[in-house]
Amino acid sequence: MKLSPGAFQFNNSWNSFFWNFFIFGCFTLALAACSRNQSKEPANTLHLVVEAKLKGLDPILAEDRYSGTQSAQAYETLLQFHYLKRPYVVSPLLVEKLPDVSADGKVYTFTLKKGVLFQDDPCFKSTGGKGRELVAEDVVYSWKRLADPKLTSSGWWILDGRVVGLNAWRDRASKNGEKHYTEEVDGLRALDRYTLQVKLTQRSAQFLYLITMPFAAVVPHEAVDFYGKEFLNHAVGTGPFRLAEYHPTSKVVWVKNPTFRKEVYPEEGAPGDHEAGLLADAGRTIPFADQVDVQVFVEQQPMWLSFLAGQLDISGIPKDNFSSSIGPGQELAPDLLAKGIRLIKQPVADVTHLSFNLEDPLLGKNKLLRQAMSLAFDQNTFNEIFYNGRAMAAQGPIPPGTDGYDVNFKNPYRQFNINKARELLAKAGYPGGKGLPPLEYATLAGSSGRQQSEFTTKMFAAIGVKLNTNTYSWPQFLETIKNKKAQIWEFAWGGDYPDGENFLQLFYSKNASPGQNDSNYRNPEFDRLYELALTLPEGKQRTETYQKMVRILVEDCPWIFGSHRLSYILAQKWLKNYKPNDFSHSNYKYYRVDPRLKK
Amino acid sequence: MTTEVAIAPTIQSLPENEKFPPSRSLWGDALLRIKRDRIALICIGILSLYSIIALTCQFGWIATPWDKVVGAAYQPPSFSSIELIFGTDLFGRSVFFKVLHGTRIAMSVGLMSSLLSIPVGVTLGALAGYFGGWVDDLIVWFYTTVSSIPNIMLLISVTFVLGKGLSAMYVALGVTAWVGLARVMRGEFIKHKSREYVLAAESIGAGHLSRIFKHILPNVSHFIIINLSIQFVSAIKSEVILSFLGLGVQGQPSWGVMIDDAKLELSRGVWWQLAGATFAMFFVVLAFNLLGDSLRDALDPKLKH
Repeated sequence: MKLSPGAFQFNNSWNSFFWNFFIFGCFTLALAACSRNQSKEPANTLHLVVEAKLKGLDPILAEDRYSGTQSAQAYETLLQFHYLKRPYVVSPLLVEKLPDVSADGKVYTFTLKKGVLFQDDPCFKSTGGKGRELVAEDVVYSWKRLADPKLTSSGWWILDGRVVGLNAWRDRASKNGEKHYTEEVDGLRALDRYTLQVKLTQRSAQFLYLITMPFAAVVPHEAVDFYGKEFLNHAVGTGPFRLAEYHPTSKVVWVKNPTFRKEVYPEEGAPGDHEAGLLADAGRTIPFADQVDVQVFVEQQPMWLSFLAGQLDISGIPKDNFSSSIGPGQELAPDLLAKGIRLIKQPVADVTHLSFNLEDPLLGKNKLLRQAMSLAFDQNTFNEIFYNGRAMAAQGPIPPGTDGYDVNFKNPYRQFNINKARELLAKAGYPGGKGLPPLEYATLAGSSGRQQSEFTTKMFAAIGVKLNTNTYSWPQFLETIKNKKAQIWEFAWGGDYPDGENFLQLFYSKNASPGQNDSNYRNPEFDRLYELALTLPEGKQRTETYQKMVRILVEDCPWIFGSHRLSYILAQKWLKNYKPNDFSHSNYKYYRVDPRLKK
Repeated sequence: MTTEVAIAPTIQSLPENEKFPPSRSLWGDALLRIKRDRIALICIGILSLYSIIALTCQFGWIATPWDKVVGAAYQPPSFSSIELIFGTDLFGRSVFFKVLHGTRIAMSVGLMSSLLSIPVGVTLGALAGYFGGWVDDLIVWFYTTVSSIPNIMLLISVTFVLGKGLSAMYVALGVTAWVGLARVMRGEFIKHKSREYVLAAESIGAGHLSRIFKHILPNVSHFIIINLSIQFVSAIKSEVILSFLGLGVQGQPSWGVMIDDAKLELSRGVWWQLAGATFAMFFVVLAFNLLGDSLRDALDPKLKH
């Protein structure tokens, strides 16, 4: 998901947009809000916030975390990331257990839970509006929708090239249209009512991670047919909540789904969860909340004030409110503590960076120039100014806690050293920057983006490298980079799943622009290792391969690696069971409001 | 015939020094009025000061370099040194220097955009008013269309087309700000074109261009001066708004950029960037407005009553 730190980069699909907010504001979670004047709401109503206007609830189009999180309250996937366990593990959601995998790692057999009902909705005409049971054919249908070229899903990449016969089906579908759904795909079959078989083209360690993303959620074909284009504004899933109100620019209200199957709060967690009270509700039936009010807040200040007034259960901390909320020892300010507010710190699986366009004749051919610029950028000062120290300088693309991260590794070109930078610049043929034309630098419009680009300009000016700053809106910015028009830009990537592969694919030559490899990096040795790593199971060999790839990148310097950020989230005292989770999306069902603490 | 006879002896009978009472031209009259108007003089003083600051900054005689780090980030204003008088910004740069350089940007935008818009406004207004007919229809249609687009939207779209930066802003403001002047000029030309002095010029063989530029224009040129002062203010304000929206100057200090910074900083109690930029802007805008009023009173006495 692509992010923007002034402009940072995120991945494909998921998250793209909101990461932008995330970085600018140094918020780390999109959460929810309130409205006090709702007179009839149940006492245990959750008040949460989303930080961007919503695009819609159709899961195959939910490419940003805001829309994705909302659609995940109604639509479910086969698997999910376990809410509490760390490191992150995949656990069953719509299936009885984790799938059986064949010896060659290519055939997955999923057994669906029995008695999972779609929510009651007028679209089920034959039963008079009663929701029917979810069956394996529904999964096949939903994944074909993801592949349907006419629907232009931004999530097609999760299945692209992975499922036997699905790409061929997609090619034919672009010619034949609707009727095509009846045509079978060899690699995607419902063996019986509850059994789904998926055949992969090659072994993939990431497959199970990918299908936890909301893109792969299961939708009933009745609803798609019944609502047509309006399907985007409805939600008919199997999830714990059903849609009560939907105003994509201001508010979404979810109410408990009365026909939700019996699911319970997890009984196991990570070390420390018990002490933190996160296991107090173990084994109890979820969801806890009868209603969830989700308020859209695009501006941070009103959100912050709502939170302080107790109208929101969770909030991030805007950068400029940081010093008044967090003390010098990184503890919560006394006035917030007195209200019973909790501070939850959590590292985010992301990496910010400055990308060089390696197809640019000047930058692409001059590794020494890139290394010199990398040495001249003082990341620690940047983190202090823009993230209030809530970030650690990145040594490579893979963030801590992700397979491939090497805690002892120090990137020789990321240790701020202005003299060495000058030396390398002279070796690159531009002593003191003489003879080097100003570089075209792309950044995002907006106050924080401008301040960050001023900082960057200053850093490079110190060794004589000049930048011409061009500011863009988020869509223009993505367009400029896709078209390879900039020379250097700020970006960020937020992980989609806890695997270094998700970060290393950003350098695979076949993913070059308009794909995710925005710096258009090409290195045959790197490609070879990447292709090798894709087929490796999790383990020492794969980790070592990842680390080898990181070292190649560090030497070639396609990016100036920035930071891995740390999120600071505040939760009200009445909110129970809150634990940040980078990768799971349907967490509202676990949250519990204690009305007694709310008075 | 009889009147002439009656007047002639009266003049002749006056004493020598009163025979030709000191007659003042439009401009001489205006100058006298301005000299008597204390507020106008103060405004001229303020504007001269701003101009001097702008020029000295332009030549790098004062407050250079503006982006030097002079202290810690967000140091509050203090009198310990001239650089710290308005405190420091996010990067520890002097806010006072930024205000001074902001003056340079604001004044240059005002001047350049006026230099661009005045010739356009005057020419189009003059042609429309003088020729009438289809020329008038065409030009009136054109400026009505331009003025029907909300000004800030038009500015934003022009900057999008031209790219960002100072010179783009000169052009953007220049090509959007001529409508008011064109309208006034058109009205004046309609009024003047049938007056005797124009008819006289025509009868001695003056061509259209000569009548427009040599005869009528000097008689309506005071409107240009009045318009200039109004135009200057709106250009300064537009520059600040565009810079605030991130469409203005890049990598240079501007009052709009400072106010944009303040949007984020105010919640942490950093008020000095906002104060510095708004005070600087307040005085120059006020001075131009008051001077504009005084000029109108002085140059267009009929309006006064």
